[in-house]
Amino acid sequence: MQDVERYSKRARAQHWLIVLCSLLLAITGLFLFVSWFGPAASGGASRIVHRVAAVGFVAVPVIYMILNPKSSLEWIKEAFTWGKADLGWLKAAPTYYFGFDIIPMPPQERSNSGQKMWMVVVITMGIVLVVSGGIMWFGKDLVPTGVFQWTVFTHGVAFVIAGAMFLVHIILGTIHPRFSEALRSIIGGKVSVHYAQSHHGKWYDRISSGKKE
Amino acid sequence: MANKAILFDATKCTACRGCQVACKSWNEREAVKTTCQGTIENPPDLSPQTWIKMEFREVGNNGDLRWLFTRRACMHCTDAACVKVCPTGALFYHSLGFVSYDRGKCSGCGYCSQFCPFNVPRLNTNRVTGKGLMDKCTACTTSGLDRIDNVDNVGNELTPACVKTCPTGALTYGNRDELITTGSAKVQQLIVQGRKKAYLYGENEAGGTHVLYVLDDSPSVYGIVENPKVPVAATAWENIVKPAGYAIAGLAALGLLMNVMVARINLRRKEKKEKGGK
Repeated sequence: MQDVERYSKRARAQHWLIVLCSLLLAITGLFLFVSWFGPAASGGASRIVHRVAAVGFVAVPVIYMILNPKSSLEWIKEAFTWGKADLGWLKAAPTYYFGFDIIPMPPQERSNSGQKMWMVVVITMGIVLVVSGGIMWFGKDLVPTGVFQWTVFTHGVAFVIAGAMFLVHIILGTIHPRFSEALRSIIGGKVSVHYAQSHHGKWYDRISSGKKE
Repeated sequence: MANKAILFDATKCTACRGCQVACKSWNEREAVKTTCQGTIENPPDLSPQTWIKMEFREVGNNGDLRWLFTRRACMHCTDAACVKVCPTGALFYHSLGFVSYDRGKCSGCGYCSQFCPFNVPRLNTNRVTGKGLMDKCTACTTSGLDRIDNVDNVGNELTPACVKTCPTGALTYGNRDELITTGSAKVQQLIVQGRKKAYLYGENEAGGTHVLYVLDDSPSVYGIVENPKVPVAATAWENIVKPAGYAIAGLAALGLLMNVMVARINLRRKEKKEKGGK
């Protein structure tokens, strides 16, 4: 069967590097979040891991954006472009995701509405986590304690939001039968034509007709 | 065990700073470089090496200049913000009511120092690596240096080092309820003597502190926080964000797994039907 490219090599490399940093950040962060894990943070080694991973979490997308400004901008633009097809997705999604085909799913762009939701969360919560984390790292004793206290709070709230959406992302991307080629595409970069047509019809029509946007 | 406390009677304090010295020698704290600021008040501030210091205040009142001394050290709150926010359980409530800590458990996050309404816990944090360990007054309950759980070699119950050394009786140690009685009586006496704003600080503040202050004026005159509270951000974080986080993560995981199972069954059924139809 014929394949079409979905993720470039660089995009995939970026994805997995961010996965590595995010997991390190989440685990070491959970040491301070979940009281049972608290003892794991004793001595402060996990806090150094958290900082090293934080540098990667900022550096990886920044480097990617410098190397691929065009596709980065398109990706950001796509995350914040919402239209009629999204309304259709919203109507069809509840049954569609449970494996029914009662309400037809309208053809989706390169990223469907659910994926765009995740992209929006990644971008906004990523920024909130980086800014609040930066304040906690460098701002101690510089910002008023009231500001610091609410920064800790904000960092936690952003983590809960991003973490919950991450659960959705990883389960839909790996074991959900509707997205049988999602994992394959982020590893090898390609999906079958059939998958592209059925899951991202608008995108497939666009790229197969050779038209630029 | 009975709730113990330290009573500080500001009207008896001469600011000899014997408490500062006794604290350092008992708790093995190093000397800190002093800076002369025009008074004999020193060291400059609380620090990981300085767990108690006397603050000097010159308060003018219609030509009546008063020189007030405030004891600055951990207040050992009943509702301690530091214990609430400490992620590793390093800070804990000692059975005598004091707020103690296990240095081996400290991660150096510094939340205690940022959330304490009295600005007591201190760390020297490396700004890049974030390394550092918190220190503060433990009311001499520090493991290994514990005075007040012990008796000395002639059979006397030991009291915190600062209390032991206090030559004027400004510091006393005992059962908290008894010290409240003593302190209230002293405050009544001060009021009768014309100190209308005399006040026993710590009876109810922060859930009741285990260091009580007899003040002959309002706390603000002595530079003490009027209404210390666990910051709202700490309560919201511990009582809302954390439980909400567990609930959201649990429900999301459960819902998703259920969703995957149902979708699997449905799609497999459809596949079978399509195959059968052909």
